[in-house]
This record gives sequence, C-alpha cells and structure tokens, in this order.
Amino acid sequence: MKRFSLILHGKNISHFMLLILLPLLITSEAVAHHVLGRPAYSLNEDSNTPPSMQVETQIGEYYLTYMVFPAFPKPGENGRINVYASRIDNGDTFQGEMSFSVSNDGWFIDKNEENIGTQQVYDGVFRQGFLFKEKGSYIITAKFESGGEPYVIDFPLQIGESSSMGPVGIALGTIVLALISVNVIQRKRLMREKIRQTRDELK
Amino acid sequence: MTHPGLPEIWGMFIWGFMIAVAIWAFLRGAPDSSISSQYISLDKITLLKPVIKFLTRSQFPLLFLKIISVSFFILIIYAGLNGTPIAERNIATVLTWNIWWAGLIVSIFFFGSAWCAVCPWDALASWFVKPKIWINKKVYFKLNNSLEMTPPKWLRNVWPALVMFIGLTWLELGVGVTTSPYWTALLSLLMVVLATLFLAIYKNKVFCHYVCPVGRTIGFYSQLAPVELRPINPQICSSCTTLECFNGSESIDACPTQLVMGSLTQNTYCTSCGNCTQSCPQQNITWRLRPQSNEAIQSARPHWDEAWFMLALLALTSFHGITMMEFWESAISQFAQVIGDSGQLLVSFSIGLIISLIFPVLIYSLVVLLTQYIAKRDIKFKKLFTHLVFITLPLAFAYHLAHNLNHMIRESVGASQLFYNPLGLNALPLSDSENLLKEYNMIISQDVLFALQAILMMFGFWVAVKVLRYRSHNLLPGQNIKLLPALSFIILINGFHTWMLTQPMVMRIGSLCLTPTLN
Repeated sequence: MKRFSLILHGKNISHFMLLILLPLLITSEAVAHHVLGRPAYSLNEDSNTPPSMQVETQIGEYYLTYMVFPAFPKPGENGRINVYASRIDNGDTFQGEMSFSVSNDGWFIDKNEENIGTQQVYDGVFRQGFLFKEKGSYIITAKFESGGEPYVIDFPLQIGESSSMGPVGIALGTIVLALISVNVIQRKRLMREKIRQTRDELK
Repeated sequence: MTHPGLPEIWGMFIWGFMIAVAIWAFLRGAPDSSISSQYISLDKITLLKPVIKFLTRSQFPLLFLKIISVSFFILIIYAGLNGTPIAERNIATVLTWNIWWAGLIVSIFFFGSAWCAVCPWDALASWFVKPKIWINKKVYFKLNNSLEMTPPKWLRNVWPALVMFIGLTWLELGVGVTTSPYWTALLSLLMVVLATLFLAIYKNKVFCHYVCPVGRTIGFYSQLAPVELRPINPQICSSCTTLECFNGSESIDACPTQLVMGSLTQNTYCTSCGNCTQSCPQQNITWRLRPQSNEAIQSARPHWDEAWFMLALLALTSFHGITMMEFWESAISQFAQVIGDSGQLLVSFSIGLIISLIFPVLIYSLVVLLTQYIAKRDIKFKKLFTHLVFITLPLAFAYHLAHNLNHMIRESVGASQLFYNPLGLNALPLSDSENLLKEYNMIISQDVLFALQAILMMFGFWVAVKVLRYRSHNLLPGQNIKLLPALSFIILINGFHTWMLTQPMVMRIGSLCLTPTLN
C-alpha cells in the first residue's frame, strides 16, 4: 500500500513509465504451460549429468517418468533411456520387467518396429541403452504388465535435428499451388468472357 | 516453481472496492440519459500532428513497419525449425509467446487494434496474392491473384474466429505449442497459409474479418481502447457519394473489412490499416482519443455471434488462469484416472476446456433469465443476452492484462541475450540459480506489480458496472432490482479472477529443473 502511494506521488514514476513502455522494451523467457506428457528439458547443477529430455505421463495405475540422456542424441552416439514407474495410489515403484521397442514416427512411413531390450528394475529405474545410425523421429514404446493388465506407452525420441525444409516446403508448396490454381481459373474466366463478348458481337 | 500471488491485503482492497461500487450502482440504478463524450483529434495536438500526418497519409511508414514485423516473423520460423527445442533458449518461443502474445494485450490497452496494421500473417498473404511493386513513389505494378469470390453467408460472422480461438487455446495449453519452438514455427506457417488461401479465394480480407482469432480478440478488446479512427468532420462523410474509404481509390485498396467511416461506431472490425486515411480525398479521417470505455458502454451494437465470442473470450481468459493454478495438474491427473486417459491427457484436458467454456455461459444465461423474470417486460432472451454481454469485455480484459503483466514482469529478466544466440545453439536449459535469479531481478518491484494488478482489477470492475448501468438505460429502466442479477454476475466473475490472482501461479518452465536427475 505504502509503495503504491509513492508511485502516485512520483517517486517511482520511472517504474510506471517503464511499465507503459514494457511491450517495447522487454525481452523475456518463454512461458511454458507444462502438463503431463509434454517433453521438457532439464539441467541439474547438483550433479555432473548432461541436460536431459524428460516426459512425465500417467497410464492406468502408474505415473511414468521417461528421461533421455543426452537431451539431443545424435546418430552414432550412445544414449540411454531411464524410465521410472511408480503407483499413483501409494508411490511404490514397479518391480517387474519392462521391454522397450523402437519404431519410426510419422504419418506416411513404414513404422518398422524393432525390440531393443527387456530391462529389470535397478535402484527404482529401468535403463535402456540405444545407438541410432540415422537421424530421424522415432517412437520408443515401453511395455510392462501389472495386475494382469498390459501397459503400453509411447515416448518421442528425436535423433539429430528435425527436418526444417519439410514444413517450409509444404507451406510454400500449398501457397504456390493455390496461386497457380487461381491464375488458371482467372484465365479461364477471362477466356469465357472473351468468347461471350465475341458471341454477343456476332449476334 | 510458483510465483507468489497478490497479497491478501490487496485482495481485500479489491473486494472492498467492488462492494462499495456495487452498492453505489444498485442505489443509483440505470442513469436517465446516455453518456456524453468528448474526443480529442490527434491531428489537433500540435506536437503529434506531424507524426500522425506522416504515419497516416503515406503507405511507406506502414510498409516499413510491416517489413520489420515480417523479418521477425521469418526469424521465428527459421529459429523454430532449426534452433534448439529448449523453449526458453529459442527466440521463436520467447518472441512469440512471451513478448508478442503477452505484450499484444497490453498494446491494445494503449493503441487498440494497431497490431493488425503490421500483422505479418496478413502482410505476407497480401504480398503473395496482391503484390505491389513500386518503380518510384508514384508508379507501381499491382497484381491481383485473388478469385475475389463473395464469402458464403455461413462465413460472414465471427463463429469461425471463435472456433479458431478455442482451437488455438487447445494447442497452446493442451498440446503445449508454447513449449515447443518447432510447433510454434509450424503454427506460424499454418496461419500464413490460411491467410493466403482466404485472400486468394475471397474478396476483401475474410481471414482478418471473420477467421483470425487474434484479430477478433484484438477487435473486441479494442472496444475498450482509448483511440479510434474516425471522421474529423461527420458532415463531410454524410455528404460523400464516392465512399473512397469503403471502395478504395486508384492507388489505395478498399477497406479490408468493408467499413464505411461515416457510419462507423465501433472498433471491432477496424484493422487500423490506414487505407481510409490515405484514400479519403478530403483527408477527413484521423486518429482521435476517446474515453476508454465509451464504445462498450453505448456505441457497440449487439450481435448474436459477437455475444458468443465475447462470452468465450471471458471463459477462455479465466481458463488460462485456472490451468496455472497449483491444483490444475493434479485435478487433471485424477480426472484422467477416472476416465482412463493416458499419455498427454488430451482427452481430459479437452473435457476441462469444454466445461470451462460451458460453465460461464450457463451462469450468464441464468443471469439473463433472472433479469428477464425480474424485469417482467416483454424483452426477448436473445435481445437481453446480446445487450448485456458487453459487461464481460472489461472483466476479461482486466484479468487478461493483470495475468499477462505477471508473466511479462516476472519472466523478463535476461532474455535479451537471446538476440545474441536466437537459435539457442549449444545452450543449456535454465539452471536452478537462473530460475531463482529471475525472481530477484524483476524489471519493476513486486509491490508495484501487485499495485498495478489490483488497479487493473478495479478498473475492469468499474467499467463493467458502468457498461451495465448505461446498457440498462434503455433496456431496463425503472427499478434498480433489475440490475441485481447482472451486478451479481460481475461481482462473481471479478471476485473469482481476483481470487485466482491471489493464488500462487505455476510457472511450469523451470519447474522440472528442480527435479533431481538420476544418472
């Protein structure tokens, strides 16, 4: 309250002016509205680990945390997936075994699923190593069974950089196609108009 | 990681203000006459005159600003597609969601729909479809690659913009486009493609007029802006037969949203493009200052589709706040367990979004029914619904501003470094200490931020009450009791928004940084 009265009396007028000009002046960090299942990148300076990509999600009775080391794996580089599975109701770690498979991610491509290993829990974590020779978008599928129920959950894994020319190409292609189509229709309209005019003149 | 909410003392102060104003409004009832307004033409202010003239009489200043905005836009797409996926280290996400998206609402408070004039989506679409190539200042080539079709009737309303707005909220908060530079770039590309396709098919700017969720949000909020483009002398407009503002001139395009300046009463569809100021042979159109709330109070005309857009604006603004409450994730998680949702919990989120849209509509409809019952006059539900809905605008706008200020001020530290490495190449995620430093190095003090938020909430409440009183002037004359349901609605909504502001706000970026990583 006291600070506020100071603004009105001018002492902090610079703050107020700054606020008015804020849209022009500020640069700021991204606001992230993270909900379950969305990749996030983290760095913990208490340990010497490299940054990791992390996804938290839930399925049935379990919370799952999926981590990828390094955060941005490259082709030909060894990497590791850590999965933590704990019961939602009491937090107990899942003690069975978990199998991992990998497939291509995309809409119009061959999924080509391949098993990469089955892991036992060690220190509350399921660890699965990987080595990809080619860059691309992949899906890691983790499978386990609990209480007679099968659990299958997919996580994203990007090896190397994602394609940048694809989206730009599709966008530009759509625009060019639309403009060509419009031009063709305009020419047809013009031709029709000319034919009609000629007919009218002949009559 | 959470940011502290507004202190209780401020919350109580706002509540005190609301109760006092509500009692005053109830006792006073609807005013006897409509509000009279004074306007100041910016052309008349000596200091501003040359600036306004320079900006409004030539096409080139605006073209220059458009080139700047398109340059930033291309940078966003390039950085989004090629830069780091770490949201806070990539300029695509920071520039789009923090600076532009948050600052846009603040800019409306001062400049109305000025953003639309430099919008890169429309600029690029226009350059693709209707390019103008200048040889010199007077000679230019103009191409027209548009079919110039008349839009079908179902498209000539704001329902498409409403659907797009709900879709954008779903992508933003549900799918998490804000956390992904790549998806931010894809969304940017999609908007350009849509704007281009609409311009290539239909005449005028159907995308800006009926489809663009950002443009319509700006348009409706602009009813509360202190500036407007209007005729200097209405007499000149009333005797005008050529209507260059509507039809355009030889060198200037027609009004993209088909407005006739002589009869313009509301900012909703004005894109501030300046075509009217340049095409008017009498130079009779200019910017002028006006009382901030007059348009919502009396000038804006009620329409059924617009009423729904305004209600959705209120609902979605509140929903944004709700998703940043601490309870949100656990509530969605529990709900997901009940319905068996897994993965990104999009089904649960979508249901939450639908409920948040339906709930305010139900309450508002109930308010309208109650008012109709109390009034005991033959007022149709639809008429009352569309007339009273303007009370939602200041409520949504004030909370939107207060909420966005929190984002901007608390997270604005150190990001200028992004311009040195816009793609975030080799950058690491934010560390714990960087997260904490942001809290300590805010651009203004926390107390000032709280004061501003409180002022905004009181401002929103005051304007909403004012809108109610004046809108009721013709509709519900007589007994003050008729105002009670709508007055209660205003208190309920502003009270809820104030409560949300007093709660800690989850800033989910960086929150995961505090999670220990095991190796």
